[in-house]
Amino acid sequence: MQFEVIAKCHTTKARVSRMTLAHGVTMLPTFMPVATQAAIKGLTPEQVESLGVTLILNNTYHLNLRPGLKVLNEAGGAHKFQGWHRNLLTDSGGFQLVSLSKFTTITEEGALFASPFTGEPTMLTPEESISIQHTIGADIIMQLDDVVSSLTTGPRVGEAMERSVRWLDRCITQHERSGKKDTQNLFAIVQGGLDPELRDRCLEEMIKRRDGVAGYAIGGLSGGEEKDTFWRVIKQCTDKLPEERPRYSMGIGFAEDLVVCVALGVDMADCVFPTRTARFGVALTHKGPLNLKLSKHSKDLRPIDESCPCPTCTDGTSRAILHHNVTHETAAAHAITLHNIVFQAQVMGRGRAAIVEGAFPDYLRTFFANYFGDVGYPEWCVNALRSVGVDLLENTDAKIIPGSGAKWEYSNAAGN
Amino acid sequence: MSSLPVTSGLHFSLLTPPSARFGPRLGTVVFKRPGCTTDQPFVTIPTPGLLTATSRGVVPHLSRDHHRKTQAIKWVHIPFETFLEHNPPVPTLQTGKTPLHTFLGFNPGQHLLSMSARDLYDGREMPPNGKDHVSVYSLRGVRKLSPAQWRSYVYSVKPDIVMALSDTPFTDPPYSQKRLTKSIERSFAWLLNVLCSLSEPEKSTLLKEEPHYKPTVLVHMSGMTSIPARRAFADSLLEPLFGPEAEQVKHIKYLDEGVSGYSFDLVPLRLSLDAAEKKSIDAMSPPSSLPSPAETPDPTTTALDVEASLSQLNLDSTIPPHIEQILPLLKTSLERLPTTKPRIVNSTQTPHETLRLISSVGIDLFDAHWAQRASDIGVSLDFVFPAPQGEGRKDLGHNLYHDKYTYDFSPLASSFRGAIDTEFTKPICQCLACSPSVPPTRLYHGVDEESYSGEPVMPLSSTPRYKPSFTRAYLHHLLHTHEMSAHSLLVMHNISILDAFFSSIRKLLSEKPESWDAEVKRFIEAYDEDMVVLDEARVSWKEVELARGKGRLAREKAKQDEGTLGTAVELE
Repeated sequence: MQFEVIAKCHTTKARVSRMTLAHGVTMLPTFMPVATQAAIKGLTPEQVESLGVTLILNNTYHLNLRPGLKVLNEAGGAHKFQGWHRNLLTDSGGFQLVSLSKFTTITEEGALFASPFTGEPTMLTPEESISIQHTIGADIIMQLDDVVSSLTTGPRVGEAMERSVRWLDRCITQHERSGKKDTQNLFAIVQGGLDPELRDRCLEEMIKRRDGVAGYAIGGLSGGEEKDTFWRVIKQCTDKLPEERPRYSMGIGFAEDLVVCVALGVDMADCVFPTRTARFGVALTHKGPLNLKLSKHSKDLRPIDESCPCPTCTDGTSRAILHHNVTHETAAAHAITLHNIVFQAQVMGRGRAAIVEGAFPDYLRTFFANYFGDVGYPEWCVNALRSVGVDLLENTDAKIIPGSGAKWEYSNAAGN
Repeated sequence: MSSLPVTSGLHFSLLTPPSARFGPRLGTVVFKRPGCTTDQPFVTIPTPGLLTATSRGVVPHLSRDHHRKTQAIKWVHIPFETFLEHNPPVPTLQTGKTPLHTFLGFNPGQHLLSMSARDLYDGREMPPNGKDHVSVYSLRGVRKLSPAQWRSYVYSVKPDIVMALSDTPFTDPPYSQKRLTKSIERSFAWLLNVLCSLSEPEKSTLLKEEPHYKPTVLVHMSGMTSIPARRAFADSLLEPLFGPEAEQVKHIKYLDEGVSGYSFDLVPLRLSLDAAEKKSIDAMSPPSSLPSPAETPDPTTTALDVEASLSQLNLDSTIPPHIEQILPLLKTSLERLPTTKPRIVNSTQTPHETLRLISSVGIDLFDAHWAQRASDIGVSLDFVFPAPQGEGRKDLGHNLYHDKYTYDFSPLASSFRGAIDTEFTKPICQCLACSPSVPPTRLYHGVDEESYSGEPVMPLSSTPRYKPSFTRAYLHHLLHTHEMSAHSLLVMHNISILDAFFSSIRKLLSEKPESWDAEVKRFIEAYDEDMVVLDEARVSWKEVELARGKGRLAREKAKQDEGTLGTAVELE
């Protein structure tokens, strides 16, 4: 991997970088759409590429189950299997083991779980996770970590963090001897729950191993913790992580989370949210989400967003026809998925442009004014951005709302 | 083409004047839009050819870029009834010269849009039609659609082609002679209604933006399964109009003059024939006690129950074709009508039927509904005309759910190749599954242009840069993981294979018409007409749907509650 920071925000910790991998260049910060089972829901890889997406995510756990490694091996890897010629990232499979299987037990050797096919006890070790990811062939692969829910408290959190460090060593060793270091890049995952001391210890240990890792992910978040805790953990990590390594915040996808994380120095993020919400009829816009299921859209002949460059909007697809078809015809899900992926890319792309132009703080203010101007700014966003020198409330009389502040169109009342 | 038509509307020309009223024929549909000044004022469709079916206004599973990039999609048929969920129907709010095209994202230079009130493939029982309405189905229940409303909707949304309302009963068959008499009288009156010229006030509201608009009208040939009724309806089209009827349509002397083509829907005919057949069987044997249908679907349904539960699904489990009985019915309708107008058949179920309808009747256009539905259940079509020599009896396609495709890295059809492949003896399948190509352009979102990334600028090239075909193994995987992309790729493929079938039919008719009968016979023998592969696929589809589709969590929970080993794999 080649990683170069090409511009930095003069105020916040945001930066623009060029990340060169075996399947091309991805400009950071970027959002990665999730193709869990080797397809972005309903789309073809050619469509995804035409949207300007250069890096997507596959899930190791799922691909290991289906189609299985033998198929991927014979196909010549996941890129060829799914016809995706750009960059690809796989997770380690550990997160799904814990979130999807209720019988998983973590031992020092690895994660012990019941095989979904036979029910037989099966062990996923760090070595095996890496070797599975080698077969899949993604450009970026993740270490196996000991995942605990972000709401867990007590000694288990510390234990998981320590073990994640030990497992990182085993992943590095496995990766080093594979001979795949030229084409695949291993990322470490910083754990430590919501405890600043544990996070610091984890950061310290993992940074010591920087020569064995190409980048760092921030794990153990997005599990229902308070937003005010969330941003503080992100900031703690980005403050310490080395400048010359990309930083990846896992499971982040709401627009406000993305811009705040970028301001705190995050380079990459992924989430199923934009593609999943599309299937339920929610289109994302710079003025907040539109729930196209609501009858208020039934006669609206405007596109989702007149200024959006996505195929759905440039084609003039009306909110009315989307309302007519959403949750009835897959074609409506495809149309909104195309739009939402472009929306995420626009949020990040405008951010990159603003950083390069030295106008990122203005971008943040404009983003929040458009997105939250009508309902009020989430307090945690205001606090987070203050910590990096941007006062969102400067020259505005916008309201502040406590809590997560995530915006949603619940009813037919008012709004866009 | 040397002489393009000057008047707007549908022009059908037979390339070789048929020597007989019935029998295979080659033709061309040329459609010219009124006052058209765009680059492509004409849509040209050679016949025999296909029309693409839609559901709720979209080609199922296709995004707009996909329906445009599928060259086989030219004539698209839109059932209007789902739009009656709102009053006024939302498409009527769309403005412009081609509102229906605009609303649904079809390209006036590329797509011909026809519109009918009802979904032509829906054979569900319906409340009876009335003297002044057709019962139509929408998600908000059954609606009554009057001929006057229909006319106003047609003039508002301006489809290229419209099917006149027809009184086709979907009540429990069989139908009495009295009912059939009513049916043909109403169908006659409703055809007359849609042919009426607009009044001046109507013109000023409905034709504000396109004063030249005039729908091209097709008539559904009424009379159901009664030969005398069919003959009576067809004859009525040729009878000179007089009195108040003549007053309403001054521009024509008899209704057929205003009609541009004849259409035949097979679903009501099959239902009616099937009911008659069952009745005669019932009359011969005492009634047996039938098991009552399951009241609520069992959440723990296993593979064994799958076949039983299929009947509860709206998945067109095939109605017996009755094609031999249908052929004379169609011929009766066409006995005396001019041979110069296109003949359209909707809801064929096999290419075998298509060939028979071409052979004995001389049908020009067929819907692709069956091939599109095959994509829903994971079948990739793979057949050619004429049939390959030898090789024994073949399936028309592949049930890609089948485990034999797990490691099959070949393209979707053995009879075709992808554009990038070098097996030059095979024809190319141009669909985006067999011949995908690198997108010629992409979006940029800020600081990702080549000047920043340092990547080579994509050369502007007029020829596509083809990629390897999607493989059966990949589609097999997508189907088993319940990924929607499988169906998008299969729809594009199957419509393209059907289009190639029609193109081979035309080739044979123009180059070797003398071998037609022999090749039809050979095709019918070479390919399995029962389409067992579709039945197998339907079962596999249902298994995956139960394992991964809607309601899956409830079923899994029920399974876990029973104490079985539940690994609760959430596959999202």
